[in-house]
Amino acid sequence: MRTLASTVLLLLLIASTALAQEQAPAGSSERGHQVYMKYMCYTCHGTIGQGADRGTGPKIAPGMLPYPAFALQVRTPRLDMPAYRQQFLTDQELADIYAYLGTVKASPAAKDIPLLKFE
Amino acid sequence: MGKDAIDRRAFLKGAAATAAAVIGTQMAAANTPAQGAESNSDGRETAPSRDKIIGRPGSDFMVDVIKATGIEYIASNPGSSFRSLQESIINYGGNKKPEFLTCMHEESSVAMAHGYAKAAGKPMGMMAHGTVGLQHAAMGVYNAWCDRVPIMMFAGNFMDADKRRPGVEWYHCVQDPAALLRDFTKWDDQPASLQHFAESVMRAYKIATTPPMGPVVITADGDLAEESVHDEKKLRIPKLTMSIPSQGDSGAVSEAAKMLAAALNPVILADRACRSQQGMKLLVELAEALNAPVIDIGGRMNFPTTHYLCRSADRRALVGQADVALLLEVADPWGQFNTISDPHHEYRRVAKPDIKLIHISLGDTLTKSNYQDMQRFLPVDLPISGDAQATLPALVEAVKKATGMAQRAAISDRVTKLREDYRRMKDRARQEASVGWDVSPCSTGRVSAHLWNTIKNEKWCVAVSGMQWNKNLWPATEYYNFLGGSGGSGVGYGAPAAVGAALANRDKGIITVSISGDGDLMYAPGVLWTAAHHKIPILMMIHNNRAYHQEVMHLQKMASLHNRRMDTAAIGTTIDNPNIDFAKLAQSLGVSSEGPIKDPAAIAPALSRALAAVKRGEPALVDVVSQGR
Repeated sequence: MRTLASTVLLLLLIASTALAQEQAPAGSSERGHQVYMKYMCYTCHGTIGQGADRGTGPKIAPGMLPYPAFALQVRTPRLDMPAYRQQFLTDQELADIYAYLGTVKASPAAKDIPLLKFE
Repeated sequence: MGKDAIDRRAFLKGAAATAAAVIGTQMAAANTPAQGAESNSDGRETAPSRDKIIGRPGSDFMVDVIKATGIEYIASNPGSSFRSLQESIINYGGNKKPEFLTCMHEESSVAMAHGYAKAAGKPMGMMAHGTVGLQHAAMGVYNAWCDRVPIMMFAGNFMDADKRRPGVEWYHCVQDPAALLRDFTKWDDQPASLQHFAESVMRAYKIATTPPMGPVVITADGDLAEESVHDEKKLRIPKLTMSIPSQGDSGAVSEAAKMLAAALNPVILADRACRSQQGMKLLVELAEALNAPVIDIGGRMNFPTTHYLCRSADRRALVGQADVALLLEVADPWGQFNTISDPHHEYRRVAKPDIKLIHISLGDTLTKSNYQDMQRFLPVDLPISGDAQATLPALVEAVKKATGMAQRAAISDRVTKLREDYRRMKDRARQEASVGWDVSPCSTGRVSAHLWNTIKNEKWCVAVSGMQWNKNLWPATEYYNFLGGSGGSGVGYGAPAAVGAALANRDKGIITVSISGDGDLMYAPGVLWTAAHHKIPILMMIHNNRAYHQEVMHLQKMASLHNRRMDTAAIGTTIDNPNIDFAKLAQSLGVSSEGPIKDPAAIAPALSRALAAVKRGEPALVDVVSQGR
């Protein structure tokens, strides 16, 4: 099952990268933020999708997956992530979350943060 | 007690009556009822209590015994079942070595002793009622057991039912006080005489501190403590001599060396392997002789994070490619090479099927049946029963002897790639820490970086931390830098263990810091008062994610599995509405504090002020509202 899911995910990644944003349904970033917090996505991925310590959840923004891959992971996740099914998290809410994550700006690079030199 | 008590009238008639005795008698009389004889349970009258003086209580001798072990502190809530011993510690012993530490919860007493032992390298004492006190203490004892840490516990009890007062004293007495803890203590005894007490305390200390170490319990019988010493001349305090930790069999060590020298991709996994700087030095010597990357699992500080062979963050990849793995006192060996996913329980092998495993451990020598801290059974090709640090010198020599010219060249050739891999690992950690740098609630990576920047010019010790960043990012070279975790993952360990460690570090000039979870601190926040009262300097940062964070994720998984709504995971798991104001909590307990801090830019100045307080010898708390992890 995992192999199948991985293969599907890979195919989707390859096929959809170029037109990723165009394929994403319209969503509201404001509503998306609310939904993201309501469903406590931040527990694993941080409040701006930055990921978390101790391998809890990967960074998911910026540099997001194309929408089809993103949706596939949310609905039928690989690894430890719980599935967020349509009857509880609607397609519109998912699109809103995607729109919210799309607004996340890149953090400064480590080399530009003096505190991260650890010397 | 009656026959041993000194009758006041007879005493005063005696030619040897001294002014001091009179003063003592007057003080005793002032504290007893003016009239009325007491009677015991069968109605026999005893002498009026105002006429009794116990010249040399058994508890004084108990203090002599405890002093002979070198125990410097006893953490305790006061309790009537050991009142005589407590009084003797204070007035007879001068409240010094041991000093009585006033605690707010027996679990905190044990956790303080736990953290102290890891920082001091020797046990602290704790005292508790044999019943309700040990019940409170039990979870902390389990943590210490799992973490193989020595603690000297003294349980108060009155064995002789004939002498118990009715009511509470019966509730607080028990036939076998240590029974409650016997599944997760190394040894216990209930001495029936003072000589028995002396020998058992020495035996207990020796057992507790001989690897594999562990907590021990000695019952200090209340009657024995409160009655006079019968015949002082017959009492002897045995000399305390410590056992030499056992080295692994030399033939097996030689075989292990051959396997390691011949390996193409050896890896070393160290958990509770080292107990001193010397242990770290030996492990560095071994790793360099093999050019084998080291994964410091972190039960103790085993390897300098600045060394190019320290590759803890690359554990999965290194284990996956290894052909020989040397495990040094690894608590969960199976879990290093296999995983079971959560929540679907899918098994996955991480290591190659033909990897050769060597494990130097005393784990098998201290295992009990009930609690499952022994972890899943792992077949090992060469299991060596021995203390890891004690075996390292022989192993280093054996590896050098087993390495021929060709092997030396192959081992040497690994250096360039290993150094490059190390650099990549560090760069990756820095890059990961930069993500979400300016976010509020504060990112844990940034919190960790600020804390480092605050203490980097000090001798420092991270007594407790749930953050992996510290180990992945901070340059740590000293054994005292990281003390590891709780052992049993029982919540409530963090704050008291850190205070105990800070006490041990106080006189060494080491700045102790901790990163405690908000939920963890709320188990027994009274330890903040203990730190303030005893002037224990510690910089305690609260990783305030306003939740029992891990449990949120568990509920999300369960709701998904049950095909039910997932927006309810906050119920029963979050700690908000109202938000706890940890700064005010700390202030109310006499600890200077900062927070709640939500703006990342405010972390650094708050930490600077907190460090200044710590340098004045005070505890200080900084509450940072942080990301979940």
